[in-house]
Amino acid sequence: MPQTKKEIVKVEDLHKRYGKEEVLKGISMEVDEGEVVILVGPSGTGKSTLLRCINQLTRPDSGKVWVNGIELTDPKTDIDKARQHIGMVFQDFNLFNHLTALDNVMLGLTQVLKMEKEAARNKAMEELDRVGLCNKFMNYPGQLSGGQKQRVAIARSLAMEPIVMLFDEPTSALDPELIGEVLVVMKDLAMAGMTMICVTHEIGFARDVSTRIVFMEHGDIVEQGSPSKMLNNPDLPRTKQFLGKISDLH
Amino acid sequence: MDLWTYLQIALPKIWGGLIITFQVSGVCLLVGLLIGFPSALARVYGPKWLRWLVTAYIEIIRGTPVLVQLFLIYYGLPQFGITLSAYMSAYIAIGMNSGAYQAEYFRGAIQAISGGQMMAARSIGMTPLQAIRHVIIPQAFRYAIPAWSNEVVAMIKISSIVYLIAVPEMLYIAKELMAKYYNPFQTYFTVGAVYLIIIGILTILLNRLEQALVIPGMDVAKRGG
Amino acid sequence: MEELRVLVPYILRGLSVTLEVTGVALSIGLFFGAILAILRVYGGDLLSRILTVYTSVLRALPHILLLLVIYFLIARIVNLSPFWAGSLSLGIISSAYQAEIIRGAILAVPRGQMMAARSIGMPTIKAIWHVILPQAFRHAIPPWSNEAAIVIKDSSLVYVLGVPEILRQAQYYSAREYQPFLAYVTVAVIYFLLTFTTNRGLDALEKRIRIPGF
Repeated sequence: MPQTKKEIVKVEDLHKRYGKEEVLKGISMEVDEGEVVILVGPSGTGKSTLLRCINQLTRPDSGKVWVNGIELTDPKTDIDKARQHIGMVFQDFNLFNHLTALDNVMLGLTQVLKMEKEAARNKAMEELDRVGLCNKFMNYPGQLSGGQKQRVAIARSLAMEPIVMLFDEPTSALDPELIGEVLVVMKDLAMAGMTMICVTHEIGFARDVSTRIVFMEHGDIVEQGSPSKMLNNPDLPRTKQFLGKISDLH
Repeated sequence: MDLWTYLQIALPKIWGGLIITFQVSGVCLLVGLLIGFPSALARVYGPKWLRWLVTAYIEIIRGTPVLVQLFLIYYGLPQFGITLSAYMSAYIAIGMNSGAYQAEYFRGAIQAISGGQMMAARSIGMTPLQAIRHVIIPQAFRYAIPAWSNEVVAMIKISSIVYLIAVPEMLYIAKELMAKYYNPFQTYFTVGAVYLIIIGILTILLNRLEQALVIPGMDVAKRGG
Repeated sequence: MEELRVLVPYILRGLSVTLEVTGVALSIGLFFGAILAILRVYGGDLLSRILTVYTSVLRALPHILLLLVIYFLIARIVNLSPFWAGSLSLGIISSAYQAEIIRGAILAVPRGQMMAARSIGMPTIKAIWHVILPQAFRHAIPPWSNEAAIVIKDSSLVYVLGVPEILRQAQYYSAREYQPFLAYVTVAVIYFLLTFTTNRGLDALEKRIRIPGF
């Protein structure tokens, strides 16, 4: 029996300008539960900005954002509370350098969710196990490889039990041989039904796992559609040109 | 008088002066820390008016000699009926002075850390206050340790100016000894040696402290800043 | 204000002395500092180590102590006025710090520069003068600007030798007119203006001689 899909993220007419440059020119988009949306496009076209507008780390100049029915652009909304349900993974990992891997994952649980230390530790170890790093729980970020750091970062976000995960070029800062271990984790996440929006150049990942590919350029959505359509048979020649190029590389 | 006899008389007195030197340095460093760290936080995260105020304080203090600041408080304030003891004047003047310099070290540390760490903390739902308390401050402290070690050494040196307002720290004791025994060369040599030894020991201890607090793989500011 | 009018001549007398002390100290510091730096960088291992100990000791002792020590040491040998004893002392102290600054600036110039100069047959001294120092100069300006401000402020220390610089003048004024606060605040303002203009001036110089892409 077909269920009506729940709308997790809705973005309406977002505009954002940095100095003279307008990086978001009226973006609108909806993402339903369980969707895995990939944002692709040339660098500097607003993809990361769009992602950061969704959890309001960047405030748009105009437009509205809803996550799970709550309007985040409403000044009355408790944005910190809302962010508890949105996970974000950064290109530079941004792990808390002064804390062990375990403490990194636990910090949100004890300080934000106010969990008891024992319960937090168990949950944190669970999440580290999920990303395959429970034997590294005592290590500091400085002692981990890039791929390991990013997996801890993913565990840190997952521990908060988000309803949507935002990935901002999660593998761009990694050596090629370390990318795979991160993509495996992301793939498992997608298979388990997590709603994900990813900015990435990893076309293989997009092909295997995504439900929709969105091509952005110059602050606009040029074209979007299912992976098979976008990669094999897109409507617009520019889409074909760009996706063709990065397909070759990856 | 030969050096050995002299030392037997002088060293106990110099020791007394050394205690006072430590006392003055210690209190002023603490005052400086209590002023400097919040000032740094204010300059990075505070509202515009507060940033302006703190910056003005820092620029004025750093642009004027500490001796003038000391005289201003010790000799100048009594004109308005505020008469402070030599010790209090020293603590306030030199403490405020140290605070301005410490504020800059801490500001550098906080700014070096802030960007990505703040984003990560906010992205898991932390309020700015929580982020500052649990993520920024612990790292800023460690990052600033080499600079702070320099400040400790600098303070030992600066504290000697209080001899001019009759606080009996080492240099004051030295002057007393010279007035009594008429041997500036021996006295200054001894006091100079004591300063060198103390600073040498302090430097080693501070290095050990740095090593103990180091977190593997975490950056700290390079010495000499 | 009447008090201010009486204060001005004291201040002006003191200001000229302060400027002279600072000028002499900075110049001596620059001259000896540069020599120390060059010797440390190019002078070989043993010399480098001896000089490192020398500069470390100078930088570890309180400036006021060094002032008094050098004054008493020199007063025994040569008959120097307090002005010259004080300025010389500050110059020697500053040379230790400037040596570090200049040394850092020289080391910031890539090694290949000296190699290239030698490879076209330039002797070392010429290479240092024509190739290394002009580039090191640009690196040295920001920390030197800092040191200049420090020497300006340190000039207040010659007060202890009785030199009639601006702080001493303020004290004379206070003893006669009983307005210490006004006197010392004015002195503070003067010092602030001195350090402020020095820093801004050197900033402007740095911008003007900046090499594109360097």
